Amino acid sequence: MELQINGKSVQADADPDMPLLWVLRDVLNMTGTKFGCGIAACGACTVHIDGAAVRSCVLPVSAVAGKRIQTIEALGTADKPHALQLAWIAQQVPQCGYCQSGMLMAAAALLEAKPKPTDADIDEAMSNICRCGTYQRIRAAIKQAAGVQS
Amino acid sequence: MKRRTWLLSGAGAFGTLVVGWGVLPARSRLGAASLMAPSAGSVALNGWIKITADGGAVLAMARSEMGQGVHTALPMLVAEELDLPLERVSIEQAGADAIYGNVAALVGSLPFHPSDMEEGHKTTSVRLGEWIVGKVARELGLNMTGGSSSVSDAWEPLRLAAATARASLLAAAAAQWNVPVGEISVQSGILTHPLGKKSHYGEWAQAASSLQPARVQLKSRKDWKLLGTPAPRKDIPAKVNGTAQFGMDVRLPGMLYAAARMCPMLGGTAGMTSPAAALKMPGVERFVNLPSNAGSTPGFAVVAKTWWHARQAVQAVEVQWQQRLERALDSSQVETALTKEAQTGEGFAFYSIGDTEKAESGAAQKVESIYAAPYLIHATMEPMNCTARVGDGTVEVWVPTQVPGAAREVAAKVSGVPLDKVVVHVTLLGGGFGRRLEVDLVAQAVRVAMECGGKPVQLIWSREEDHTHDFYRPMHVAALHASLDAQGQLTSLRIQSAGDAITPRQLARTVPLLSGPVDLPDKTTAEGLFDLPYSIANQRMSHVATHMGVPVGFWRSVGHSHNAFFSESFIDELAIAAKADPLDFRRRLLKDAPRHLAVLELAAEKADWGRPLPAGRARGVALHESFGSVVAEVVEVSLEGTLPRVHRVVCAVDCGVVVNPAIVARQMESAIVFALTAALYGQAEIKEGVVAQSNFHNYQMVKLAQAPTVETYLVPSDRLPSGVGEPGVPPLAPAVSNALAALTGVRRKRLPLV
Repeated sequence: MELQINGKSVQADADPDMPLLWVLRDVLNMTGTKFGCGIAACGACTVHIDGAAVRSCVLPVSAVAGKRIQTIEALGTADKPHALQLAWIAQQVPQCGYCQSGMLMAAAALLEAKPKPTDADIDEAMSNICRCGTYQRIRAAIKQAAGVQS
Repeated sequence: MKRRTWLLSGAGAFGTLVVGWGVLPARSRLGAASLMAPSAGSVALNGWIKITADGGAVLAMARSEMGQGVHTALPMLVAEELDLPLERVSIEQAGADAIYGNVAALVGSLPFHPSDMEEGHKTTSVRLGEWIVGKVARELGLNMTGGSSSVSDAWEPLRLAAATARASLLAAAAAQWNVPVGEISVQSGILTHPLGKKSHYGEWAQAASSLQPARVQLKSRKDWKLLGTPAPRKDIPAKVNGTAQFGMDVRLPGMLYAAARMCPMLGGTAGMTSPAAALKMPGVERFVNLPSNAGSTPGFAVVAKTWWHARQAVQAVEVQWQQRLERALDSSQVETALTKEAQTGEGFAFYSIGDTEKAESGAAQKVESIYAAPYLIHATMEPMNCTARVGDGTVEVWVPTQVPGAAREVAAKVSGVPLDKVVVHVTLLGGGFGRRLEVDLVAQAVRVAMECGGKPVQLIWSREEDHTHDFYRPMHVAALHASLDAQGQLTSLRIQSAGDAITPRQLARTVPLLSGPVDLPDKTTAEGLFDLPYSIANQRMSHVATHMGVPVGFWRSVGHSHNAFFSESFIDELAIAAKADPLDFRRRLLKDAPRHLAVLELAAEKADWGRPLPAGRARGVALHESFGSVVAEVVEVSLEGTLPRVHRVVCAVDCGVVVNPAIVARQMESAIVFALTAALYGQAEIKEGVVAQSNFHNYQMVKLAQAPTVETYLVPSDRLPSGVGEPGVPPLAPAVSNALAALTGVRRKRLPLV
């Protein structure tokens, strides 16, 4: 199966009904996208499909053939990090860090759709779970990256 | 004993002490240079510190990073004493020697009353107990990340190791330059001498390795450059681009994946299993039975080319699960039994002073309450997993664990491979909270790997297996009785709690060496009840340790997690009974506890206690000491419909000397959200032996939209560093409940609140 991942065409030997998460992790060894719950409840597996935040643990890979898939590995580069990655470092957001790939991908999709999000926008878009409770730092980092007042 | 005592008390918080190595006790934790793994160009100077060719340092890291910041805090101790920038101190996993064991955690488990433990006021029995346990702990070398003990345990040995390395490096430079050591200064790892000489540590490491400094002096606090600053965490850059490696991210050539399924009934077994259909499914390699080991529930695993294939197949195995022979576990029956035990059982008295019976008979007013807290799930974000390879007489394990030594022991035991042929690699932990003090996954993964012909295999539990096969925070119930005199003064407090003790069960399955034939009184059952800071003339605190059969384990803040809810809710009840402001009522009871009073006053001041709030909002306060630290929290709540909403939490903390205030603040924020989730929603209900809360859809979490604003304030302190990861948890539930009681007039005595 041919997939468009992070701007590249990738061949993946995968069953059509295999969720995208496991194709990324176990077939392509792209481990930045995380497994948390398997029922699209926690958001640790969030990726972008054609620019929108999608939970990949219940998404059959056949549904994304031909679509643009973006993962945390390509959110920014070492030379040119995403504004959110810089803000995440500035606000010292991550603790254990396990949920943060999904958080960043959800936040990046939010800023694509709403470059100047309100608190209500952030509340609505950021429905991922963080067991370390980094929520208030996430909010601050999104606002910093967006250049809106805290 | 004298030597050790002298070292401990002499070194003190700020180490102006000069340590002469001639008097170092035999079981010093400095360690030999040979304990560190050799690497080209680097020279180890002791068991902790290696100097690299370019003049940086490598620290042997004996503690696991699970979000608490330890991979930053411990390098800070070393960077300070070596006068190196923090980024020049890297880490490598420590070996298995006893010097890497956690002495502070074991000493902290002693059931002494805090009033007997203040430095300078310790009784002989406290000193003796600490000495014996400390000695045993040093011999055992139990490498454990838990009990909020990493910094307090590392405080003396790591700074001494770094200062010793620095002294020998300077001695080597002084000898070569032929100048007095005292004339050499070090800044950012660069040694300079006024005669124009300049070099870095790397040039002196080889010469230093054969020197033993006669005198080593720790820096005075006034000379600290790094300690006490909000230095950025070293682990964060890798955690924003997907490169941080957790246990589940281990990838090895030829690696297979395994999914497990265990008997859904706790204490049950796997009966007849028919894997035939599963084995025919695509990508499947094999089926492996999983007997009970290290406390696990029996079941089986399927190995396949991806975890998704393994998971599909393991669900397709036909099995007739067997309920345990005794009556099936039921959490509501446990609660009934514990309620009876708390009221009528004969508990072990952890603390007794005065005469509560007499005080109660002469009371102007008596108050009685029963409080209860449910079983809780750890729910780490990274599901349970372990990767293992067994072959050629060796075992290699990659695991996100809080106990690498115990993991190694169980891997050896299960595989039959000698301990010295077992290697454990500790990855980053996607949350720990005490769940990763268990080694059940290691036993299972090694068992599966033994069947895989030398190929590595990564065993992953589904979220459902994780939630339904946890070692749960135990349910506890407490019966509390108090007497007030005619002036509203609290004259007696009598508490009896009931619930399973964690420590004896956990040691039996994880560190069998420390497990005895009889359960000793377990401090974790009574902590947060027997050790209250309040001056009350007559007190009796006892606990009835039960054996309900539900697997129980350490859960962030352990006994404090429920006992603070019991004690601090009840204190609020007593304030109301005394017609006193809850803050004033506590102040009056803290006349002999200035440290606690200062923390309470700071929280109250920052929270504007007493200033009227808008209609529909109320405040609540709670104060609690745990893991050596004192935390007060003031919360503001309202109701949205019938649901509580926590808007703001003001947190004041005294955790002794602060290594990194930014990490402390974030740990308080973390603990508060963690505790709020538990207070509002947390409950594992067991019916017919099965845990009902199987995933995040029915084990609800506080999310960003419900998260309160948290403000943290630190009380300046000269005390030795104490716990940070857990102490923010206990005060939250009672503070929220007290605020809701103030708002609604209804007192809730059972968690969760929603």
